[in-house]
Amino acid sequence: MDVNGDGNLDILSGSYSRQDRDMAGLFQVLYGTKERTFRKAAVLDGSDGKPLILPAGRGQDDMIDRICTRPFACDLDGDGKLDLVVGNFRGTFGLFKGEGGGKFGPTATWLDANGQAMAVEFHGDPFLVDWDKDGDLDLLSGSAQGGAFLFENVGSKTAPKFGARITLLPAAGHAAGAARFGDAHCTAPASSTRVWAADVDGNGKLDLLVGDSITLQFAAAGVDEATARAKDAEWQKKQQALMGSYPQDGDEAAQQKWQEDYRKLNTEREAFLLEEMTGFVWLLSQK
Amino acid sequence: MHVPLLLSLVLAPATPSFEAPVRMKAGDEYVKVEAPGFAAPCWHDVDGDGEGDLVVGQFNDGKIRVYRGLGKGKLAPGEWLKAEGEVAQVPGVW
Repeated sequence: MDVNGDGNLDILSGSYSRQDRDMAGLFQVLYGTKERTFRKAAVLDGSDGKPLILPAGRGQDDMIDRICTRPFACDLDGDGKLDLVVGNFRGTFGLFKGEGGGKFGPTATWLDANGQAMAVEFHGDPFLVDWDKDGDLDLLSGSAQGGAFLFENVGSKTAPKFGARITLLPAAGHAAGAARFGDAHCTAPASSTRVWAADVDGNGKLDLLVGDSITLQFAAAGVDEATARAKDAEWQKKQQALMGSYPQDGDEAAQQKWQEDYRKLNTEREAFLLEEMTGFVWLLSQK
Repeated sequence: MHVPLLLSLVLAPATPSFEAPVRMKAGDEYVKVEAPGFAAPCWHDVDGDGEGDLVVGQFNDGKIRVYRGLGKGKLAPGEWLKAEGEVAQVPGVW
């Protein structure tokens, strides 16, 4: 997206932490150049000159409202100026109104859907597109639980109003991202989904690209699967015992020894089982 | 007798149907991100050659990988996105 309107492609990202203080996400822009290269990430300020940050939630002051996920720049209200629609850890969606020229008002409001707070089950991931081709922008989102969801704009191009959440892809649930042996079970997106819509296959319909997060386990080299599973069952018992033996009395030497034992136990596991935390990208072609 | 049913069909939002999910590949390898996971895909013609490219953000170091589109659904092996000549990082992703 071209955030500052200079005709060059920019990359806009959220971030979880401003690092030097309490958790609150900043928006980061890698501004593009006319040579199609990018500058290093820069914090996006509001029109008051201060970094844009989501506010506390409605009636509550919880950091998960302020930890932003994906910001999406689009002209939500059809006034010719880019606005920012932003997700957060809670799963709600904020709107920073655009003031033109890549500037955004410093205060966000929260979006509603069907008369209540627009929300997914944690970690909102807004992507706006005219999904139903009626001339206005609809909102798509993944969630921490997985899945892909649509909030149809039942208002208009200049007066957006969102309807109830529609499931495009059912949420796989958090357990789908938990460690499992092999990858034969990987037949659909797992949890922590991030979505994008585009006509990837060129059939004239919007497809869904869905990113996920999953942990895979594989037998180490020279170890067959049955042996790896059996050894891991024993290893799990040892780990459980070790976790229950952490010295709570503040004895630093004992705590250091515990940490060394923990490290050794993990190294021991690598001899028979490898664990890979990763995320894949899935294409769901629309028929 | 059939009018209410017809009305409900007309008024109901169109729920699209999709082919079975396919894990995207670049060459013979699955497109995937480094530990601890969390792939965030985008689709855009980054290099301006008329083909869509796959751009994937990840949690680890806030890095971004670009898989250039070769047409007909094929993707080239990924390369880290660079910013000012260095591998680009989005700070504070963690």
